[in-house]
Amino acid sequence: MSHPPESLYLPKVAVLDRVVDEIAEVKTFYWHFEDPAEQAAFKRFRPGQFAQVSIFGVGEFPASLPPSPTEDETFFTIRRVGSCTEALHALKPGDRFGVRGPYGNGFPMEEYEGRNLVFVAGGIGLIPLRSCIIYAMAHRERYGRIQIFYGARTPRDLMYLPDLKRWEQAAGIECYLTVDRPDETWRGHVGVVGSLFRKPDVRMAVENTTAFVCGPPIMFRFVIQDLKGMGFEDRHIVSTLERYMKCGVGKCGHCCIGVAYVCVDGPVFTYEQIRKLGEEI
Amino acid sequence: MRARLIHQDDLPRLVARLRRDYEVVAPFRGRGRDTAFEVVTDRNQDQLALHLPNPVYPPKRYALPHIERLLRIRRTDGGYDLQPAYDETPRAIFGIRSCDLAGILHLDSFYLGRDFRDDHYARRRRNLFLVNVVCTDVEEDIDENCFCVCTDTGPAAREGFDLQLMDLGQGEWMVVAGSPAGEKLLEEPFFRRGGPEHIRRRRAILTGVRAQFKDMTSWFAATVRYVSRGKVLESTWQEIGRRCLECGGCTYLCPACTCFTVSDRQTGPDTWERVRLWDACALSGFTRMAGGHNPRKAVHDRRNRRFFRKLAHYFIQRELSMACVGCGRCVDTCHGDIGMPSVVEMIRRATVMEETRHVPSA
Ligand SMILES: Cc1cc2nc3c(=O)[nH]c(=O)nc-3n(C[C@H](O)[C@H](O)[C@H](O)COP(=O)(O)OP(=O)(O)OC[C@H]3O[C@@H](n4cnc5c(N)ncnc54)[C@H](O)[C@@H]3O)c2cc1C
Ligand code: SF4
Ligand code: FES
Repeated sequence: MSHPPESLYLPKVAVLDRVVDEIAEVKTFYWHFEDPAEQAAFKRFRPGQFAQVSIFGVGEFPASLPPSPTEDETFFTIRRVGSCTEALHALKPGDRFGVRGPYGNGFPMEEYEGRNLVFVAGGIGLIPLRSCIIYAMAHRERYGRIQIFYGARTPRDLMYLPDLKRWEQAAGIECYLTVDRPDETWRGHVGVVGSLFRKPDVRMAVENTTAFVCGPPIMFRFVIQDLKGMGFEDRHIVSTLERYMKCGVGKCGHCCIGVAYVCVDGPVFTYEQIRKLGEEI
Repeated sequence: MRARLIHQDDLPRLVARLRRDYEVVAPFRGRGRDTAFEVVTDRNQDQLALHLPNPVYPPKRYALPHIERLLRIRRTDGGYDLQPAYDETPRAIFGIRSCDLAGILHLDSFYLGRDFRDDHYARRRRNLFLVNVVCTDVEEDIDENCFCVCTDTGPAAREGFDLQLMDLGQGEWMVVAGSPAGEKLLEEPFFRRGGPEHIRRRRAILTGVRAQFKDMTSWFAATVRYVSRGKVLESTWQEIGRRCLECGGCTYLCPACTCFTVSDRQTGPDTWERVRLWDACALSGFTRMAGGHNPRKAVHDRRNRRFFRKLAHYFIQRELSMACVGCGRCVDTCHGDIGMPSVVEMIRRATVMEETRHVPSA
């Protein structure tokens, strides 16, 4: 891994380009580095990595990189929950903030070549998986079947709508959506995300398949049960873990789970690794 | 390693020599048995002492300050100017104990190793000169809570110092150089050559001092094994957790704890600084995440964390050193009597009892 000669903790100044509403409290922030050389260097990130975002005078927080390196733009999708995310939501196009990274292991995309990919996301769990999905589609010939299962509480909680529309229509991938509670506009499936696996028209890939699971803890537990019931091995179930993080570079100690420093050893782990961490996730 | 002798009365000359190149910090007596590291000045230099209780507040802060500025932030016309902040003051610690030295060596492997090298730490550390003193005075230097013999970090450090001082009695001190910078200093005129007799005295004194630790059998190795293999019963962790008052004292006084938090504070109308501050896994806010979810809700989960991080074989291998140096400060400070030696003892006793319970009686 390459590391800059200067401070590990020095962010680079970024400019906010535009803001897009996703769902309630969640917005996508498109940005670029002031320094074009910085932008070019950053664009070498891998799907599944994250960055530390600085709002100067307020603080710093970790955020996944939902774009794929195969795309042109860089952006974050952020839910407003506390002081930093609140301050980011208050920024206007042209405002400056800080970014350092990319950090973390990311998904080993080469290891999945030749395999089927099953993505299972709940709620904003789609944020860390988006990069991986877009990347796999950009290199479609390297992978087998691609299936996306995405569930949200209500139709208005489905994020990345333009992407979802594209994925539903794209040839060569299967995209299934569900909501827990429908509204009058909803024509699709109703039920938790795992109920999609049992829909009559769904033929789940299991053999030679890697499953990616991201979502709230309760959804995670049920989906893991479902997948294991279908015959998925622990080492072929992959997730990203989230922990309170202060540094992103393996020093502050906040993100530890058992033997792992999530910021450097993760955030991507197989379920086999998760079970061996030595601490509950 | 080269060794020399220095007379007791010449120790101030050594300090004066160091003060030409460094800001020198050394332990001083306060009230009663209180001692503290302070900067040596013209006014206090004649109160310097080497046999005294080890200060409660460890000298770790000269390698990793309690509060350290990382970044200066200035808002400019439509942007920000960011300057990393470094402390490169040449500094010498005169009289660092072997346990505290081991603490700094542990910080070295943690902060300078692995994927990322911490430049703020590296630059401060590069300018730090360490004069280790061997604990030989069983009345003053050592107390009943010291367990460096169990962690293999003392009473005499084997490496990591620039100079090591050891009292051989009769006004004579042995000085060992452990680095090129230390060797260079040995050329000063107040150092003399010693002989085989001094080596014999050194050995005899060390044997005597080690014997002082005779009832300190804290069964470290066995406990490391139990913790690493996940053999410690949940009920034992709970018992330990019940005794923790969550004051954080153990972590703040620990010479080998590395965790920190980061905070921005305003320093002027358009300026801020980003600082890091020591943090403690003992405290409940340590892992609390956005939305209020806290993966380590129960006290015993956090206690478990502290001892797991310090004793698990995985981490000892990773840093090639254990994050416990046997200084005994957690024993002194803990209201619940769960300093490291007590915990080691509780784990060992409970685990052994559990294991023997399953042995069918003959
Ligand atoms: C690898 C990784 C990737 C991530 N990716 C994303 C992403 O793509 N998008 C995204 O939206 N989020 C993401 N997150 C989560 C995001 O980092 C957090 O939401 C963010 O750190 C919140 O920071 P904040 O300053 O806004 O909140 P803070 O002000 O730190 O507070 C957040 C919440 O913590 C709780 N809290 C804090 N202090 C206290 C207190 N004293 N007492 C009680 N409760 C308290 C409260 O519930 C509060 O709302 C990611 C996290 C990780 C680790
Ligand atoms: S010193 Fe004792 S009571 Fe205080 S946090 Fe540490 S273990 Fe808990
Ligand atoms: S975020 Fe600091 S160690 Fe992982």
